Amino acid sequence: MEPNRTALPFREFSHRISLIFMLTLAAALLLLGRAETYVFDQARQVVTDLAAPLLEIASRPVAATRRVIERTDEYAYVFDENERLRAENARLLEWKEEALRLQARIARYEALLNVQVDQSIEYVSGRVVSDSGGPFIDTVLVNVGREKGARSGLAVIDSDGLVGRIVSTGPKASRVLLLTDLNSRIPVVVEPAQYKAILAGDNTSWPRLEYLPVQSAVSAGDRVVTSGDGGLIPAGLPIGLVIQTSSGELRVQTFSDRGRLDFVRVLQYEFPSEVKLQDPPSVLEGAEAESGADTSSAAGDGPRAAAE
Amino acid sequence: MAKLEPYSPTPAARAGRVVMTVTPFVIGIVCVLLSFVPFGRIVGSPLTPAFPLMAIYYWAIVRPEMFPPLAVFGVGVAFDLLSGGEIGLWAFVYTVTYALVVTQRPLVMNAPFSAFWVGFAFTAAFAGALGWVIVSVIHGMLVPPGPVFWHMAVTVAVFPIFAMLFGRFETRVLSGG
Repeated sequence: MEPNRTALPFREFSHRISLIFMLTLAAALLLLGRAETYVFDQARQVVTDLAAPLLEIASRPVAATRRVIERTDEYAYVFDENERLRAENARLLEWKEEALRLQARIARYEALLNVQVDQSIEYVSGRVVSDSGGPFIDTVLVNVGREKGARSGLAVIDSDGLVGRIVSTGPKASRVLLLTDLNSRIPVVVEPAQYKAILAGDNTSWPRLEYLPVQSAVSAGDRVVTSGDGGLIPAGLPIGLVIQTSSGELRVQTFSDRGRLDFVRVLQYEFPSEVKLQDPPSVLEGAEAESGADTSSAAGDGPRAAAE
Repeated sequence: MAKLEPYSPTPAARAGRVVMTVTPFVIGIVCVLLSFVPFGRIVGSPLTPAFPLMAIYYWAIVRPEMFPPLAVFGVGVAFDLLSGGEIGLWAFVYTVTYALVVTQRPLVMNAPFSAFWVGFAFTAAFAGALGWVIVSVIHGMLVPPGPVFWHMAVTVAVFPIFAMLFGRFETRVLSGG
């Protein structure tokens, strides 16, 4: 018992010293973390890569439970849902006809304008394996890393629309900065009037629309898509709908549900920096040759007519 | 006079001591990993409780000698590395919160569970407010307080479940019998 009596104050003292030391170290880390980002980025990638497989295993039961709940919900509303889908299908068939007609017309215009058609963007599918974990950031980890072709800056989409973009990658996992994060800035276009703006996250569920032109007539319900400015994210990816808050501020309700992220696609988009001039299609070449012949003959007719 | 033999613990006692020293820290790290498991997806909400804060508060009150400041700092750094946020943010918040809880320990040590819970509510409020202030200073703007408020509210709401689990673990495993 004797040694314990002398050890106790010493232990308390050392505990206190250790606490002060750790407080100082934590404060120093907070300040240092702002400057020495490279070292911490490396450490972060190592930890992320180590934790990703564990998190993937842990997230499987979560996904399975969610599917069970969703399935139960679906059974409860299966008749109503069927009725609704029939009506929607009929309406979509009309739209399909319209779309096919417009597609043909656009192909004709593109051919006329000699437009460089976008190469189809390749993608890698993956799963969201982690949540952000804290209230001040909105990032998730996906199980697609450098080994599968992920790299910083690539856009990540799910079945509903743009989710965010990759900000760091390890060999096996990548971190995706969601649209709602405080640091997220995405160049967008508000349809149908094509007003350009920046979609700025602020850690709430509804990112803000910034730098809209003063005279712009954007209203609630307008569709927001990526503009493709900057060349990082392909243009035309659906993002969400404009909503107006009670204070009159314009925000965006995203199509992708941040609370239900599961399967995502990483778009391996390359900005077409070296655009080759396309030869016009042969159909048009024939037409041009004909029209060219017409004009030359018309031009040729001119002086002859004048001479006559 | 008989000479006193120097104390040399048996291998089993040594292994037991290692387990006793390491276990709370391992629980802390497990809590960090739990924070990143997307539980909210089940109900369609991105809210996840601050599991490490629960572990830190519980061990700081019940067995501070088994959860030293170094372990708190380690848990905070692990959280910072795994999250995409500022490095050192949660290491700092957790260490300061731990220091506060340890100094206020006599207030709730032998009190009923309700007082223990109320103490945790104050702790969560303090940690949330401190984190909010630091992030606001770093970004040079008042970040919306809503997310951190709900984060801490959920944490306080589920705390009794985890306190019970930690309590079971402590009496079954760490008390030695």
